[in-house]
Amino acid sequence: MIDFPKQPVSKNVIKAFLSISIVFLAIWSASGLEISLERLAKAPQLTWILISALFPIDLSQEALDRIIPKVFESLYIAWTGTVIGALFSFPIAFLSAKNTSITIRLPRFNNKKNIHLYSSYVMKQILNVIRAFPELILAFIFLPITGLGALTGTLAIGIHSIGTLGKLSSEVIEGIDEGPLEAIKASGGNKNNELFFGVVPQVMPTIIAYWLYRFEINLRASAVLGVIGAGGVGQELINQLRFRAFDRAGTVLVATVILVLSIDTISGAIRRRIIRGKSVSIVEANI
Amino acid sequence: MEEQLHLQTLLEKMNKIRIPKKPFPSPLLYLGIPMVLLFTNYSYNKIGFSFKDFQRNLDNRHIVTDPLFNPKWSWAIENTASPMIETVQIAILASLIGCFVALPISFFASKTTNPSRLTFLLNKSFLNLIRTIPDLFWGMLFVAAVSQGPFAGVLALTMFSLAIMGKLLSETIDSIDVGPLEAARSTGATQQQAVYSSALPQVMPNFLSYFLYIFELCIRASIILGLVGAGGVGRIIETQRIFLRFDRISPIIVFILLIVIFIEQISIYIRKKVL
Repeated sequence: MIDFPKQPVSKNVIKAFLSISIVFLAIWSASGLEISLERLAKAPQLTWILISALFPIDLSQEALDRIIPKVFESLYIAWTGTVIGALFSFPIAFLSAKNTSITIRLPRFNNKKNIHLYSSYVMKQILNVIRAFPELILAFIFLPITGLGALTGTLAIGIHSIGTLGKLSSEVIEGIDEGPLEAIKASGGNKNNELFFGVVPQVMPTIIAYWLYRFEINLRASAVLGVIGAGGVGQELINQLRFRAFDRAGTVLVATVILVLSIDTISGAIRRRIIRGKSVSIVEANI
Repeated sequence: MEEQLHLQTLLEKMNKIRIPKKPFPSPLLYLGIPMVLLFTNYSYNKIGFSFKDFQRNLDNRHIVTDPLFNPKWSWAIENTASPMIETVQIAILASLIGCFVALPISFFASKTTNPSRLTFLLNKSFLNLIRTIPDLFWGMLFVAAVSQGPFAGVLALTMFSLAIMGKLLSETIDSIDVGPLEAARSTGATQQQAVYSSALPQVMPNFLSYFLYIFELCIRASIILGLVGAGGVGRIIETQRIFLRFDRISPIIVFILLIVIFIEQISIYIRKKVL
């Protein structure tokens, strides 16, 4: 008897199975949520009624005095949160990257082998735990300590940013080119020299780009955090919608969109400049 | 003797080599760094952190942390099963509708597949506009438009996933190989036929992997949508939070984590099998 190798399951079979299960899941969800085609067909009409209530927006002095400071508060929350995240995640990233991690030798006891504690392993688990909590849940926890206001949102966003930025930065550090490190070692540099002249210059552009990218995300998150009273523009939007002041809600929306669009544009331009670098012409370089 | 001479000429040659000047950092940097520092200081003051207040109120943490680490499992299992299923259903339906609506739009929002400048600009700016509005804002707006309930949540997350898929997919379409498109056109295909037969198959694997990614994002987003009355498990979290019943919230957080991890594993499996 010859053992024939097993015929692999064809990709088409898997694809067909996936399509069937997607259709099945969609029908199951729609029936569970009591969504009929009738309701779906009516939705655009209802949304149009809301949009026509939002515009024209309320541009009276009173509304602007109320809304503009709140919009800028969101900006401050997002920026300070990003700065907290960047400052704390930077050293953590080096500890949690495999190639720059520290090994701690715990003292031996009971004549057993020495236990080696890798900082990369410990810090990675800590970062995973931090990242698992959404910003809103963190804000719940901070509310009794820091009260209703911008500080709660800042701390929640800052701590969540430590988790995400730490992970992204440590992945950048793990992906560096080892050549410069070897060169520094060969010319007599110690571990610290390797870190400062080999690793940091290589990873800095990408890490700063990640900080700016996180700032864009945090701006949206800080706008959302207002819903539970952690400062920012979300509080204003939910209040105006509850009081059926739709034209003022329109003002809040337009102000948020303008802020987010302009910040996205500026930060996107800076990121592109950092990653691509300044274009230096050959004549200017004088080689 | 000869070797020394050789070395000397070499050194002289080396001195003659003009080392390229280190490029000056742009003047914007000298302007930018102080501005960034000033802005950081300004926003720090605006937020108003005072260490004394923080220390004084630190005892208040027991209001949250004591019940949080003292979970009531039986209550949570009894009461959160059906909202949790509702959350998953919202995410499935919304990511499906959103991604399939985004598929044609992102072909119109890319210059490689859309020769018409007007429709390109219209679609691109539509995608950019809906991307600026956060998911919870969509939730609030649709709650105001179609009343409370999971239907508002589905519509909100549909816009959310439409925005992300539109951006990711249109950027992927920008970078596809244009050779097959030209080949299809040269055989006399219309624009639609060319896109359908040669651009769509190129981005299909990316579409599937983006879809799985967006589905994960939707699961995370649909959890908090209940805070504004758009259905799902967030509704339970909001009502228990108002009564400071954090002992009932902490098991819900654990269940959410388990569901998110489970769905991540499924999507990793599907990616491995199909892509």
